[in-house]
Amino acid sequence: MEKKDIIQSFKDSLFTGLIALALFGPIVGLRTASKGEGLFITPQWGVVFLLVGLCILGRFLINLNSSRKTEITFFSKFTSKFSAITEDKAKHFAITAILFAVVFPFLPFTDRYFMDVAIMILTYIMLGWGLNIVVGLAGLLDLGYVAFYAVGAYSYALIATTFGWSFWICLPLAGLFAAFFGILLGFPVLRLRGDYLAIVTLGFGEIIRIILINWYEVTNGPDGITGIPRPSFFGLPFKRSPDEGETSFHLFFNLEYSTMHRIIFLYYLILVLALITNYFTLKIRKLPVGRAWEALREDEIACKSLGVNPTNTKLTAFAIGAMFGGFAGSFFATRQAFISPESFTFIESAIIVAIVVLGGMGSQTGVVLASIFLIGITEMFRDLEQYRMIAFGGAMVLIMVFKPKGILANRKPTILMHGDKK
Amino acid sequence: MSNLLSVENLTMKFGGLTAIDDLSFDAKNNQITSIIGPNGAGKTTVFNCLTGFYKPTNGQMFLHKEDSKISLRKYTDFKIAYVAKVARTFQNIRLFPAMSVLENLLVAQHNELMVASGYSLFGLLNLKSYRDKEQLAVDKAKYWLDIIGLTHRADDNAGDLPYGDQRKLEIVRAMCIEPRLLCLDEPAAGLNPKESAELNKLLKFIKTEKQTGILLIEHDMSVVMGISDHVVVLNYGKKIFEGTADQTKNSKEVIEAYLGVDE
Repeated sequence: MEKKDIIQSFKDSLFTGLIALALFGPIVGLRTASKGEGLFITPQWGVVFLLVGLCILGRFLINLNSSRKTEITFFSKFTSKFSAITEDKAKHFAITAILFAVVFPFLPFTDRYFMDVAIMILTYIMLGWGLNIVVGLAGLLDLGYVAFYAVGAYSYALIATTFGWSFWICLPLAGLFAAFFGILLGFPVLRLRGDYLAIVTLGFGEIIRIILINWYEVTNGPDGITGIPRPSFFGLPFKRSPDEGETSFHLFFNLEYSTMHRIIFLYYLILVLALITNYFTLKIRKLPVGRAWEALREDEIACKSLGVNPTNTKLTAFAIGAMFGGFAGSFFATRQAFISPESFTFIESAIIVAIVVLGGMGSQTGVVLASIFLIGITEMFRDLEQYRMIAFGGAMVLIMVFKPKGILANRKPTILMHGDKK
Repeated sequence: MSNLLSVENLTMKFGGLTAIDDLSFDAKNNQITSIIGPNGAGKTTVFNCLTGFYKPTNGQMFLHKEDSKISLRKYTDFKIAYVAKVARTFQNIRLFPAMSVLENLLVAQHNELMVASGYSLFGLLNLKSYRDKEQLAVDKAKYWLDIIGLTHRADDNAGDLPYGDQRKLEIVRAMCIEPRLLCLDEPAAGLNPKESAELNKLLKFIKTEKQTGILLIEHDMSVVMGISDHVVVLNYGKKIFEGTADQTKNSKEVIEAYLGVDE
């Protein structure tokens, strides 16, 4: 390493320090505290200098490291080895993961908190898999996916509270409603591509949320819908003391009453729903319509020249993607027993898109890894309160730096002429 | 030899610019008809009108069947390939680069496979009738890959093929829709002499064995003169000459259009 390089990287790190100072100075340095009447500023310059110093040092070390080519590759080597393993043994990996997911509720360290996080991760996995059809396969960047999630949740909630039908009737209905909205969105955006499509879908997501807030007579506006019926175990409710003429789950199986029963049931419910989504996607990818989706992502004009109807192909992608979003929405409604428009903000769409893109477009396993990574890290840093979103952003940056195409970016052909060579 | 395609008084205007001016010509069954002309003569515009990407300002285009004729103006977009069975390739190759070679050829058979899969229903149930149809489609793809000698690369991504092979793949992909008329937009662009010769062989094979009419835009004269049965020369959107390859070579108008007039 030459002296010139060291001076260069030193200058560079000083510049980084300047930016850090500009950022941390006002945010961290000037702390407001309320004393008696009014706010007073307490400067914390020590902390600021510590942070700026760390930034300078970190930048300098990165610069030093990048001039030594061999060592910077350590992390990317590690991740590419990891993705090579998961690609080669994709089947083993999937089976192990599913087995782990099945026994997870009965592991000794699993408590209520772990179950809640696991249910949340699985919900995001299912949403990711649903959106993967639209974004990963058909290549239609949909930034308003949360709209279908909301439609599913509200249809379930409204049908269940109005007619009192059971979960298993409301679930397909909610999926159908969401699919209908998928087609409704699909029609006006058929001609749009890329950024323009993203903007319109984003708007659609907001429109749905604003309708939910303002259509007070039906959706109860910002107050949301309460008292959504919980799902029952094939007709056996999870209640401590069942109504007259009813048998509840713990009485039927002669168990001690525990709230965990319902949590475990919900966990398996979302696991099954997610696996159905996955199975369906893997299957349909190998069918003509799945290939047409991917062809459409690759080149729409070539598709037309081969007689593939782009309208129908896009609409099916929107409808099927929306349907799974609707299923996930009804699960969300039945789990929370309360929904309000606040649960369906743009950030949810952004998280789901992030999961799909960071997982590797079109990769089913990638969605799982990205969900665990992004949601898991955000949960791990829950103690940091509002700063935990920094962890979320950090996780995204890490993936983008080391795996710019997503955690698992390899695509396998849907059909092989010569069979699997490996 | 019967007519396959007749273009009558075709005119295409973009605002004030007349890209094609009152063009009429015929293309016959089992023949290779070439459209040549200097850059900007309107060749690709003719193709875009024929294949439904543009709607012509004026004029008619008919595709003749055994005893009836269909007007191509009625079909736009994907229906040209789906209903009228007119296939095309593009000047800048348009394969599905991230999909395998075999998948590229299966997408071309999308409509038959879609019906066979019962619009995905039979396919999801994995019925035998669908699996058999899919096998047939794979066999058809293999037939064409054998002809262009790419069978060993069937499972590789189409984008990873060398340029010459991508050209050939695009042509056989168009052939997979079993077209009545195949429109090729500069298939020899960027090919070396050996690859051009292979291309000539492939086009002759399609013409004689598949009984498909071919319409060809080309700048490479070794290809045009070697295989064309009929040549149409355009300049500034107008037809300036029409005849056999030999006649074209010796035509005064054509030489003037390409090289200019003697002072």
